Amino acid sequence: MIGIGGAGVVGSRVAETLRLFSHQQICVYDTEQIIAQRLAGRLSGGEYQISVVDRNAMKSAKVVVLCGPSPHFSIAKELLDASVSVVSTSDDIADCLNLLTLSQLAIENKAVLIVGAASSPGMSGLLVRHLAESFDSIDEVHVALHGTGGPACARQHHRALSGQSIGWHDGEWLRRPAGSGRELCWFPEPVGAYDCYRGELPDPLLIKRAFPELERVTGRVTATRRDRVFSRVPMMIPPQAEGGMGGLRVEVRGMKSGARLVDVIAVAERVGQVAGVVAASTAHAIVTNKIDKPGAHVLGDKSMPNSWLVSQICGAGINLHSFVRA
Amino acid sequence: MAVKFIRRVLLAVSVASAVAGVIRFKGKGVGAIKQGGWRKVTDPKQN
Repeated sequence: MIGIGGAGVVGSRVAETLRLFSHQQICVYDTEQIIAQRLAGRLSGGEYQISVVDRNAMKSAKVVVLCGPSPHFSIAKELLDASVSVVSTSDDIADCLNLLTLSQLAIENKAVLIVGAASSPGMSGLLVRHLAESFDSIDEVHVALHGTGGPACARQHHRALSGQSIGWHDGEWLRRPAGSGRELCWFPEPVGAYDCYRGELPDPLLIKRAFPELERVTGRVTATRRDRVFSRVPMMIPPQAEGGMGGLRVEVRGMKSGARLVDVIAVAERVGQVAGVVAASTAHAIVTNKIDKPGAHVLGDKSMPNSWLVSQICGAGINLHSFVRA
Repeated sequence: MAVKFIRRVLLAVSVASAVAGVIRFKGKGVGAIKQGGWRKVTDPKQN
C-alpha cells in the first residue's frame, strides 16, 4: 500500500499518477479530512480503492509520499521509525537539510528516504543526470524555475525571494540576497522568456550532493517587479488554488570530446503536475524495488534509477524539450 | 538659497531622466530567439 500525506494539488497529482501506474491500494491523510475525502471520492472506483486514514494509519503503508506544506521532518522521522519508506516533496532548504540528517535512522530501520522529489528540487536533478550522460564531464549547473503549484508552494516561492540564496561557486558555498542577480531565461512555449533572480532554493544543495564534481551550481526563480518588491512583506493577497503554466529549465556546462559545451533541457508544464508525477514515480520505484538501498537519497544521484524514472515521468505525460541551436 | 537648491534638484532630476530615457530607448533590447529553438524530446534515452 502507498500512502499520500496531503491531498492538495500535489497530493491529487500523486494519486492520479499512482492510479495510472495501476496501484490499487492507496491511502490518503490530510489535516483537513474533507479534502482527503473529496480526493478519495473522485478517484475511487472499479478496482482502485483510495481510503482516507488518520496519521497513525499511514505507518501500515510500505511507502508514504509527503505532499503537504513543509516542514516534513517530524512526520518523516515518525514514519522512518516505523520502517516506512518516505518520499518528501519539501522545497524548503532547512527542511531538506534536516531530512538528510535522517539517513542513519533510515538505514537502521531498512527504509528509504528520498529528499526533494518534486519539480525543483527533484525533476531538476533527474534532468541534470539525463544531460550529464551526453558529456565527458560536467562542471556547471544552473536551474531556473517558473510558476508555483498549490498555495503552500506559492508561499514558499514568496519566501524564496526574500531570504538568502545559496549557490556553489568554485569550491565554496556563496550566500547572496535572494531577488538579486537578474538573468533572462528562455523556457519552452507557452512560457517563453522571463527574468530570473537568485532564490532560496534547495536545488544547489541537493544537486551538489548528487554531483560532487560540480564547480558551480545556482538556482533561480522567475519574478516580476511586484514579486520582488512585496517579497519582504507577508503575502497580502491569498495565493490561487493552483498556479498556471510553469516551467523548469536546466542548463549544464561541461566538456565533450575536448570542447566546451552548453546544453539546455526544460519542461513546460504546471509545477504541481510535474511535482506529483515525479513523487509518484519515485514511490513507484520504491514499491517495485527499483530503489532498495536504505538511507537518504536525492534524485539524480548515481545510486538512483534515473533513466528509468525519466522514462516513467515522460510516460505519465511530462514532455521534455531540449534547446537546439540553428 | 532655497531657490538655488530647488534649481539644483530639478537639474539633477532632469539629467537623470534624460540619461534613463536614452538608455531605455536607445539600449540594445533583447529580441526573439533567432539562433535556435526548442525541440520536444520524444524518447529521453535517444537524446
